[in-house]
Amino acid sequence: MDPAEVEFLAEKEMVKIIPNFSLDKIYLIGGDLGPFNPGLPVEVPVWLALNLKQRQKCRIVPPEWMDTDKLEEIREQERKLDTFTPIPSLYYMELTKLLLNHSADNIPKADEIRTLVKDIWDTRVAKLRLSADSFISQQEAHAQLDNLTLMEINTTRSFLLDSLNYMYKLRSNLQPGRSQDY
Amino acid sequence: MPCERKPMRYGHSEGHTDVCFDDEGKCVVTCGSDGDVRIWESLDDDDPKSINVGEKVYSVGLKNGKLVTAVSNNTIQIHTFPEGDPDGILTRFTTNANHVTFNSSGSRVAAGSSDFIVKIVEVVDSSQQKTLRGHDAPILSVALDPSDEFLASSSCDGSVAVRFYYNGKHKSSDVSNAKSLCRLAWQPRSGKLLAVPVDLTIQLYDRNTWTHVSTLSDDLISQVVNVVVWSPCGKFLAAGTVGGNLLVWDVEAKLCIERQKHEKGFTVCGMAWHPSGGRIAYTDTEGCLGLLEGVPSSSSTVQSTKVSRKTHDYDDLFDEDDDRGLDEGMSDSRSPVKKPIMEEDDDDDDLMPATGRPRNRGSFLDDDDNSQGMRCLHKASKEDGSSAILPAVGPAVSRPVYEGPMPTQPQRAFQPGSTPVHLMHRFMVWNSVGIVRGYNDDQDNAIDVEFHDTAIHHAMHLTNTLGHTMADLSQEAVLLACEGTEELASKIQCLHFSCWDTHKDWIVDLPKGEDVRTLCLGQGWAAVATSALMVRLFSVGGVQKEIFSLPGAVVCMAGHGEQLLIVYHRGTGFDGDQALGIQLLQLGHKRRQVIHGEPLPLSRKSYLAWMGFTAEGTPCCIDSEGVVRMLNRTLGNMWTPVCNTRDSCKSKSDHYWVVGVHENPQQLRCIPCKGARYPPTLPRPAVAVLPFNLPYCQTTTEKGQMEEQYWRSVLFQNHYGFLSSSGYEIDSEGQSRAEKEQQELLMKMFALSCKLEREFRCVELAEIMTHSVVTLAIRYASRSRRMALAQRLSELALEKASQIQEEEQEEEEPEEQMDAEESTETRKLSKCSSFSSILVSEKYSGLKYIQAKICSSFEEMKLLLNFVFQEYLINIFKLQVSGAGKSSSSPAGQPRTTNVLDSMTMSNRKPAPLGSTSKQGKAPVLKPLAPKPKSKVHCASMPHRDKNIETFQNAASAPRVMPKTGFQLWLEENRKSILADNPDFEEMDVIKEGMGRFRTLSAEERLNWTERAKGDSDPKKRKREDEEGQVDEQTESDEGRTKKKKPLDTSAKLSAFAFNKE
Repeated sequence: MDPAEVEFLAEKEMVKIIPNFSLDKIYLIGGDLGPFNPGLPVEVPVWLALNLKQRQKCRIVPPEWMDTDKLEEIREQERKLDTFTPIPSLYYMELTKLLLNHSADNIPKADEIRTLVKDIWDTRVAKLRLSADSFISQQEAHAQLDNLTLMEINTTRSFLLDSLNYMYKLRSNLQPGRSQDY
Repeated sequence: MPCERKPMRYGHSEGHTDVCFDDEGKCVVTCGSDGDVRIWESLDDDDPKSINVGEKVYSVGLKNGKLVTAVSNNTIQIHTFPEGDPDGILTRFTTNANHVTFNSSGSRVAAGSSDFIVKIVEVVDSSQQKTLRGHDAPILSVALDPSDEFLASSSCDGSVAVRFYYNGKHKSSDVSNAKSLCRLAWQPRSGKLLAVPVDLTIQLYDRNTWTHVSTLSDDLISQVVNVVVWSPCGKFLAAGTVGGNLLVWDVEAKLCIERQKHEKGFTVCGMAWHPSGGRIAYTDTEGCLGLLEGVPSSSSTVQSTKVSRKTHDYDDLFDEDDDRGLDEGMSDSRSPVKKPIMEEDDDDDDLMPATGRPRNRGSFLDDDDNSQGMRCLHKASKEDGSSAILPAVGPAVSRPVYEGPMPTQPQRAFQPGSTPVHLMHRFMVWNSVGIVRGYNDDQDNAIDVEFHDTAIHHAMHLTNTLGHTMADLSQEAVLLACEGTEELASKIQCLHFSCWDTHKDWIVDLPKGEDVRTLCLGQGWAAVATSALMVRLFSVGGVQKEIFSLPGAVVCMAGHGEQLLIVYHRGTGFDGDQALGIQLLQLGHKRRQVIHGEPLPLSRKSYLAWMGFTAEGTPCCIDSEGVVRMLNRTLGNMWTPVCNTRDSCKSKSDHYWVVGVHENPQQLRCIPCKGARYPPTLPRPAVAVLPFNLPYCQTTTEKGQMEEQYWRSVLFQNHYGFLSSSGYEIDSEGQSRAEKEQQELLMKMFALSCKLEREFRCVELAEIMTHSVVTLAIRYASRSRRMALAQRLSELALEKASQIQEEEQEEEEPEEQMDAEESTETRKLSKCSSFSSILVSEKYSGLKYIQAKICSSFEEMKLLLNFVFQEYLINIFKLQVSGAGKSSSSPAGQPRTTNVLDSMTMSNRKPAPLGSTSKQGKAPVLKPLAPKPKSKVHCASMPHRDKNIETFQNAASAPRVMPKTGFQLWLEENRKSILADNPDFEEMDVIKEGMGRFRTLSAEERLNWTERAKGDSDPKKRKREDEEGQVDEQTESDEGRTKKKKPLDTSAKLSAFAFNKE
């Protein structure tokens, strides 16, 4: 899965918008949306929110966790603990990117949020790398991936699996006798 | 009265100095750039006590034996006084602090530093500090409000900021040229005015509105004013200037009463007024200390000039409480029912604790944010009282104590949906159309208009050159207005954006002296209420139309369509209540007044917070306690509380700021404000939707809930009637939906009452029902074997039907043609019910039990309206009957009898067969017609079965209301085959098996059977009916007389209904 696909999945997340038009309920395969009343918040999927936003038909209400105080707290927590902390949204990175890129004007302190989320991401990915490293060096058989988001798993998966394969090959070459057992 | 200027004497080395008196005024304390604090017994004291506190001292404050100094090592230090022992460091800055000051009680210290920061520290616990940022330049001076509410700070950037210091919320700011020290000062005691030296003048700002009240100046001032200090009584203001001038003003009269010149013309940089008045100590930048003696301090001289004050109007009495302590004699002679006395009561708490006067402050201490005209009431020192600062008032004289109710300050006029005027960024209006925001800060004085629906109009940005403070917004126009100033008249500006010509806006000047108080827009018209107690109507294009007078000062107005709603002060409220009146006018073609100035109900001790119309046009008001009330047009224009927004608040200081009310769907749109009454403009607040909730009793119970739902539905449906009567088109679908919902609720309540065996209540409920639902209720009652109830209900149904008929007859020719068959059915029904009411005795408790079970799950199942369930009911009933019939033919069976005695005998051996019946009753209700697996329990309960069936048989054979169903017919035919397949089957098992088989039949086949059953059952019924007709002719003739007189279409409706369902 490449990041674009993960982002696509993230676009199914619901987000609140304040439309500036009025429209009755719309009936889609994925469920009913609306009704849209001007000035009244309504929940829609991110893809629709971004589409409406680009057409200047709505304002996006940032999700509750997209707030500097909360993110700072998460960042501290993330830095303090060795394990991965629970994240308010499974698509935090994707949502931050999508919402900040398209509707930064509706999100207070957008730049700070961008930095904070990037910090959290960096911390988590560093942890991930570290644990992958110890996973390999200690030749563990399995690893728990609690609280990891799809995006995070996907950043490391292809690389980790490929390298494990290579390492396996290399090791089996080192010990030709044993490799025949497999 | 000239004062004496004592010669200057050396105090400190050259440089900045500061001076203050101790609490009793015994000594003068100075500080200077030599790092010493000196305590002078008098000016002639040759050996002042010196305390070295640091390298340089910038500012000194003294209170309650604590001496705080701002020292050059960037700290604020405490020393004991008069000993001068160091008592620790209060706080630190990154650079030196420029000014440090105590609050009036001495519990807190505020300090402003060159690192742009203001800190407020508790003296006792220096860990409790607040840091306030916001200035972009070094802080010059800080001043704490005597009532501990605000902090004023001035900075080198030329701004003065006043904030709520407990939350640092920015209140206001003002640009002043600050080349000077810009030492601010709050008026002592009341804190009503803030004096700010601005250039050559001193400007006074009002605490409530942050508007500029007056300017004090004098010809003598040739250079910038450096320091201002208030006299302890708050009546005089002294100022020291850069050029060394010392001036004293009488603030009230704006009269400069004292002018002195520094002997060497040095800059005055520190001034302090002796706590008892009469003396001013001052220091200059050369380190010298001087004293002015004989400065007027008591008001004796000035009082005589102020007899004219009696003419002040009511408002002024409340606002100008500052000098009230001084002319007590006068307030005595005036009406005692005046607020100032109460405020003095707060002030003088410590002076006269023994008076035992009722303390009414509690009512005023509610909220710090309800600033619309209420702030000046927040007098009472919330901290540790004013014990230390006994002002230089003469000893409190005894006054006649007034113990009656105190008048409330009338609330000010406001625009519904606006935030207070004193905010720099505020909502001028937020309504269902859009938002108008006003900005009034350093860079910009502008108005933003934004529409929720961009289809109406695009957003607008206007420069607010006229200084508009009021706005309203409709689908057609934006209406703005400003109050007049001394030169300019009050103006109304209208941006009529839906106008089709090129001139989109118009401006109207009001006559001189008349100010706009509040305004509103309707459809095609605008209304403006003015300070002259007048309402002026305009067309939206600017044509002046009617004007009329109001009986009192306007509070607010709202418009919707052709309706104009005006709220005004009907009189003086007492003990925190407002006395508001309301008028509702219809401005359409037939102009009339709908509500003629009736009192507007509000919660106790609250004021009006929002007033307007729902989207559907029903007047609605919200008070400061959060109670939403709606006009109930069907109840003689009474107000019904429909919601309390405070119930949904998480904490006590949270509020909901309402922006709109909708009746269909029922929505209360509001903005949640955390810890405040009003939302900030940034970040942009999001609208939340609250549900309505009528305060009915016992809404935790099912009954209470349904009652609340029913009446809410009725109330919120009222607008349909109003709209259609005033010629608007209505959402008829929504109306019918609401009606259906109401009838469903009534039916549910009916079923509940039935279950609780409250038959009288059932009838009461049925009285509210529509005719068609009453027939449904009759069915329900008869099903649940409540024949007496059914009978009463049928009478009621007849009555209702006759009413309907009468109404119809009035309209059109009565339909004489009555269907004979229908009338016989009516009779049949009444006969059946009366007959069965005799027969049904308590021996049917087993049956009743089933019905109770059914009832309980009934509610969940949409009641009688559920077709499947109905069919089931009939089926199970018939099944039992037919089963019983068959079993009776077996040797063990009872003879089929229908007489009363028989039922009596059976009642004797009625050990309630609960085991089996409950099983039978329960299982199929949940899953109608589901085949049930055989169980051992069933066999065990066999002995009871026959009796059980008998009861059914009796019940069934007596009235035989039910026609045979398709299943029954089918079963009769197929019984043999079932028995052949399973020879060991008991009767019940046969039925079960039959049910299962019947269900496997195709839909057409089943339909076929049903058809046959219909054709089959009718003639039978009629025959039976003929037999029974003779049995109870008596009964019928008794009760049926009335019914016969009007053979009605009730039964027609009922039967039609029954057939529809089947």
